[in-house]
Order: sequence, then C-alpha cells, then structure tokens
Amino acid sequence: MKPTERREPPKEKLSFTQIMRQLRTDMMLYIILLPTLAYFFIFRLWPIIGMRLAFYNYRARGPWTFAGWKYFEMIFKSPAFADILSNTLVISFMKFILLFPFFVLFAILLNELRVAGFRKYVQVISYMPHFLSWVVIAGIWIAALSLSNGSVNQILNIFNLPSIDFMTDKTKIRWILMLSEAWRSIGWDSIFYFTTIIGISPSLYEAAEIDGANRMNIIRYIILPALVTPMITMFILNLGFFLNAGFDQVLNFSNDAVLSAIDILDTYIYRIGIQNAQYSLSTAVSLIKGIVGVFLVLATHLVSKKVTGKGVW
Amino acid sequence: MVAMKRYKKYTLGQIILMLILGAVTLTMIIPLLNILARSLSSPEASVKMSGLDIIPKNFSLINYRIVFNHPALMAALGNSVFVTVVGTAINIILTTTAAYVLTRPKLMFKRAIMIFLIFMMLFEPGLVPEYLVIQKLGLMGSKWSVILVTAVNVYYLIIMMRYFEEIPASIFEAATLDGAGHLRMLFSIVFPLAKAGIATITMFYAVLRWNEYFKASIYIVKAKDTLFQVVLRQFVVLGDTVSIVGQQNLWDYNELARIDYAALKGATIIVAIIPVLLLYPIVLKYYAKDVMGGGVKE
Repeated sequence: MKPTERREPPKEKLSFTQIMRQLRTDMMLYIILLPTLAYFFIFRLWPIIGMRLAFYNYRARGPWTFAGWKYFEMIFKSPAFADILSNTLVISFMKFILLFPFFVLFAILLNELRVAGFRKYVQVISYMPHFLSWVVIAGIWIAALSLSNGSVNQILNIFNLPSIDFMTDKTKIRWILMLSEAWRSIGWDSIFYFTTIIGISPSLYEAAEIDGANRMNIIRYIILPALVTPMITMFILNLGFFLNAGFDQVLNFSNDAVLSAIDILDTYIYRIGIQNAQYSLSTAVSLIKGIVGVFLVLATHLVSKKVTGKGVW
Repeated sequence: MVAMKRYKKYTLGQIILMLILGAVTLTMIIPLLNILARSLSSPEASVKMSGLDIIPKNFSLINYRIVFNHPALMAALGNSVFVTVVGTAINIILTTTAAYVLTRPKLMFKRAIMIFLIFMMLFEPGLVPEYLVIQKLGLMGSKWSVILVTAVNVYYLIIMMRYFEEIPASIFEAATLDGAGHLRMLFSIVFPLAKAGIATITMFYAVLRWNEYFKASIYIVKAKDTLFQVVLRQFVVLGDTVSIVGQQNLWDYNELARIDYAALKGATIIVAIIPVLLLYPIVLKYYAKDVMGGGVKE
C-alpha cells in the first residue's frame, strides 16, 4: 500500500498524421494489452453494468422488470441495516484506528533493537502470519481459544482465572477480530513505518548525539516527526476502505452465537444475495457500498494530496 | 549505521525490548508448533496434550496418513495446486505484458487506460452481478471461474509498473535500434532486469491463489472440484467432521472415527500452510530485503 508519486511527461500537441503514425507503431502494444483489457471488460466492467439490477426485479428467464427505488427503500426501512452499518463502522474503527498506533510502536521498537540476529528473527516470524489465509488463521485461533484445551484458557487457569468461551461471547468477539488482525498484520504493516525510520539520515542522529540527546529524545524529536507523514498517509488510506471491515476474517470468525455483533455489509451482501437469492436487494447494498467507497477513496486521495503532498496511488 | 555501532549490545533496555518483541513472536510460533506437535502425536496422547505443548508425544504419522489417503482432501489438494499453478501463470503473463505496455513512454491513450484500471480497482462489482456473469459465461461449477475471475490485480499491476520503470530507457532505445520487437524486448530485457519485481509479484499472486476459498466456495459446486481451503474451512472452521471422517465410519465407530479430531484438523492446517512457507523465503529475499538489513542468508 505504498503511496507513490507519478510524474507525467509534459503533453505535446500532436498533428493528425503524427497521431496516426503513433497509433500504427503502438498497434502491437495494444494487441499485447488486449487480453488484460478483455479480462477487465468481461469480469469487472460487465458485472458493474449488471449492478443496474438494483433497480430491477430479477427474473432468470425473460427481461427484468423495472422496480425503481423499491429495493433501496427496503434497505433503509429495514432495522437490520442500521445495525449492520454500525457493526461495519465499529469494527473498521477498531481495526484501522485503535490498532494503528501499535503498528507504529512495533516499527519503533524493532528499530531500537540492536541485536541484529534477534531483530532478523523477529522480522522473519512477525511478517509470516500475513501470508496465512483467514481460514488457517481462524483454525489456529479457534484451537487456541478453545474452552477445553486451548492455550489461552490454560494460561488463564495457571493464574487461577476461570475459563472463558471466547468464540461464542458477543461482547468479546469484536476484540478477537481486532487482536487477530493485529496478530496477522503487526509485522507486515509495520514495514511501511520501519522503511521510513531506516531511511532517516545518520547525520541527524549524529548531530543529536553531539547535542547530548539520549534514545528517548531521539525517538521523540527525530523518529516520531519523520513518521508523521506515513502515519497520515496510512490513516487516510484506511479511511477510504472503511466500509470493508474485512469480509474474509469476519466470515471465518463468525458463528450463529455472535453473528449479530459482527454482521457487516459484506457478510450481509453474501447472505441475502447468494444464500437467500434476493439478488436485487443484495445488489442494491453492493451499489450503495461501492459508490460510498469510491467517494471515500477519492476524497481521501484529494485530502492526502493536500496534506502530505502524496496521493493514495 | 556507523552511529549505531557505538551502543553496547546487551543493556537492560535491550533485554526488555527483546522480551517484549520475543513475546509477540511467541504468540505466533507457539500456536503453530502446538498444532504441529499435536498432529504428529498418536491420538491417545494428543487428546491429553495442552495448548502449550510444542513437542510431539508418542510420535505418530496417523493424522497425515489419513489426510494423504483421504479421497476428498487429496482431490481438493490437487485442484488447489492446479488453480495455483495455472492461475498464477495467467496472472503473471497478463500482469507483465500489461505493465510492459503501460510503461512504454509514448503510448497513446495511456492515461485513459490507467484511469479505467484505477476505477476498476476502486469500484468493486457487487457479489451478485459477478455471480450472474459467471453463470452467463457458463463457468459456474468450473475451476476456470476461480482462475479467470481474478486474472489481474490492478494493485499488483501498478507495483509491477514501478519495477519496470526502473529499467533505464537507453536499454530499450538500443534494443529498438537493433530491431528488437516488443516480445523480444519483454523476454530478453524486461524479464531478466526486473527479476526481483517479477519474483515478488509471482509470490504475492501465488499466495492469493493458494489462499483463495470464498469465490471457490460459491462458484465451484461439485465436491470433487473444490479447493483445499474450502474443505479446510468446512472441517476446521465450521467443524463439519462428518464430511471428512465419513458417516459410515462414525456409525461403525472404527479406528478412523476414534482419532483425535483436533489433531486431524491440525494436520490439515499444516498441509495448507506448507506451500506458503515454501514461498515465504522469496518475499524475504526480494521484497523485504531492504528492511532485513543485509538480506537473508540462503
């Protein structure tokens, strides 16, 4: 998720014959690009055009009949939708806002670690969970949180604390989502900040040391200020994806006992759309989510450009 | 780095840091080693094992024998390998060719194509419209639905373009003077010079492919065509032991029905993780080399 700057060469005005000549030399390039464009037209653009289903009643055979705003009215009148929206926002808040100071902290602590071998060990281990599927992570976590012989409850028992049935407790499941996200991402997501820290010029440290600064001063006055820009970038970037609270994770951590606490927009779209075959209703939710999502990303892109000088892409 | 050498290595602060960061890594290692240890223990021993045990007791390969002799699991494993290999190959062919085209300096409509691609990245088509397209294309139930529906990832395409942009333009100019066509340019200049980038993106795609379960679970209906992660989810996350152990075995309450399900689940998780761990060094070598300080020893 590295934001990058792009420099476009200045546009020159081309005459018609120049354009034709350029097109002829580019012909081969367009042919090479064709399979990729075909993919986007068939598998991405076609479904997007198919989202007009939100305004129609679905029929497997024959033309769809126009329904107007019917499905949108259904969504906004349904009491479930407000809960699902608030679940989505709360879970996103916990994962994107409450968690991200810890990713920064992890990068700072890793940088302070001077024992090179141990530092490499921490990196190799902590980057790894990012590559495990949520199915595997849920499997590992369900085993570790198990009531009968999970490691977490065994540790609680060592301290004479009662066992807790984490996975079926509505009040705890969101924290488990947040912690498992931290477990999966603390290493990998800290790379972004860590790269900034190791990019700080050594002369800055040397100057600070001559002035008698200790490590705390260096963190406070050199490292943290350098991290402000990447932090703002990441923060804004996350805001853009606020309506995706992590479908794969939620689906694998959810069960009937806790569903009402972690039912998010994407699980709702899946349940009513694929499982209950309410195609138009599900598409209407997707459409709302898609449009709001694009607006969020574009808005954050513009804000990010203004604040940090860098766009989201 | 010169300034850092002046610090003493094992001060109190360093030890506290090692304890904190070490504890974080233990939360990642112990559950994995515990699952591995349980899966390698005999059923009688593994049911009594604690969640903190990391050494197998009464070593036995029975769980792995069951996994590797299980027709449904083996079929799913084969399908997953097929989808990962073929799918990643398609990903890489499309991504590298597209990145090559889109990094040519004078390409007409380049800006328009990029805007289109970024819009495609930002605006996710709804689940149902995508489902209906797969249905219309006649791909429902086929492994090709999963392979084709994620054929290009715009985000990875943009990263690939960044790698290609680092190749000096003069090399391309020299090759053009030598009369090299685009395909030769791609094979004899771009591929060798952007090796690190291509390796990284290949790895990212392969992991995505191997970990794919959701699209497979809705587009692939027949059990014999399904993917390993889908079966894994059914067994480990949803706790459906009947489909793995078999109704008949449960009724007979034979050796298969009496094994430790937690250990068998562990063995299937380990089988699902191994390919990822085999690919993981590629990330460390190419993607994370700048932050790993000196690179990883092979």
